Amino acid sequence: MQLYPLKLVTVVGESVIMEDIAKEAVKLGASGYSLIDVTGQGSRSARNVLVVSSGSKTVKAEFVVPIDIAEKILEHISHDYFEHYACIAWLSDVQVLRGERYIAK
Amino acid sequence: MLTDTFTMACDQTPVVLAAFDAEQVSRILKSLGQNLLTPIPLCFLLGIICTRIHGGIKIPKELYLSIAIFLLMSIGFIGGHELAHEYQAHGVTTIWKPALVTLLLGCVTPITSFVVLRYLGGLSIADSAGIAAHYGSTSAVTYAVANSFVEQTGHAANSYLPTLVTILECPGIAIALVIGAALSARERAERAAAAGRPVKESKLGEALYEVITGQSIMLMAGLLLIGFISTIFMPEKGLEPFLEFFKSKGMLFRGVLCIFLLEMGLVAGEKLSDLLKVGPFLVAFGILMPLIHGFAGVYLGHLAGLNLGGCTVFGAIVSSASYIAAPPAVRLTLPEANPTLSITAALAITFPFNIAFGIPIYFEMAKWVGAT
Repeated sequence: MQLYPLKLVTVVGESVIMEDIAKEAVKLGASGYSLIDVTGQGSRSARNVLVVSSGSKTVKAEFVVPIDIAEKILEHISHDYFEHYACIAWLSDVQVLRGERYIAK
Repeated sequence: MLTDTFTMACDQTPVVLAAFDAEQVSRILKSLGQNLLTPIPLCFLLGIICTRIHGGIKIPKELYLSIAIFLLMSIGFIGGHELAHEYQAHGVTTIWKPALVTLLLGCVTPITSFVVLRYLGGLSIADSAGIAAHYGSTSAVTYAVANSFVEQTGHAANSYLPTLVTILECPGIAIALVIGAALSARERAERAAAAGRPVKESKLGEALYEVITGQSIMLMAGLLLIGFISTIFMPEKGLEPFLEFFKSKGMLFRGVLCIFLLEMGLVAGEKLSDLLKVGPFLVAFGILMPLIHGFAGVYLGHLAGLNLGGCTVFGAIVSSASYIAAPPAVRLTLPEANPTLSITAALAITFPFNIAFGIPIYFEMAKWVGAT
């Protein structure tokens, strides 16, 4: 069994921007993404614009990418979204099966 | 100087009060009672109370979204059905004037809102344009509640009102966002230059596309067209089950509207805490601006040929503020605008005001301008 060392970029933010972020990450080189509805509270939770009393107003996006793409994604998010939107991003090391799929040819 | 003005105002108060004779006052109170003490606003109130006392009512998000779909489909389908009857009976002679007035008000209300917020309220360009986008558009639920009110009073609105709701949905958001994006472009460019970064691409086009192709418009306009086509081409008997399912006087529509209002009450209850943050100016704006826009709607609606119920519902939709289509569009286009201000004004001030007091007031205004 071969494991590939890659990076997991996780972004949690208000629902209105997360699909855009995911699509922009693909343009920057990510091979795909997962979007998951999450619930929770942050320092700028009040900025959510989805008018519902229960359920998720926040979305988590995950990208498994090589380090160079991860840096591009994080740079893009911090430049375009951090100033005005409720949004957080972090990077973790992951070991991935079939990791060759995530590396751009 | 201030004391003189106050004394003069006090002196004139009895004259103003005398203008409303006892009969008029009792009529207004009766209208308010007719509206307030019915299940729809009472469910809204229950939602607010429940949130404030941390009660246990939970409406699943999926149910709320499903009800929104049903309400939009129902408004569209019945609207299309009635529009077909109107078209068969009178052609376009009765509807072109109200449609034109709707388009005009859809273009004017975001501008009046922007000017008041920016120059009277001193709000930033982004906040003024963001809130103006909400007030320039309309709330389909306010339409549904106003329509139920006039049906209960026995003055059903003109059949083509749902068409007017659809027309009113877009232009207000578009105009306010264009004003906001154009006026704040220079500020953004200066900020980007100071930080030595390239200017961020505006998402105006994308946001407008999402409004036009969003769920509200697609469902309402789509079902309006479906209702219109099927009324013209389908035999009455075949259409009956659909009308039975969607009709606004039906038990299904009224029942789910209660659940929807309960959910809106739960959200409005949460937003009530934000009232202190938005300040007295925005609270006054959230009440007075709808009254001004509502009166313009009632008056111009009357001139365009709407009946008593039609003028009332038209006043309500012109005065109402969008809280479903507008917030995401504003968030994408004017990210520096604070959504707490616009959503609180639309949902915690104007929506409850219209549901409780606005609709009966527009009803009385419509009678006053001579609508029958």
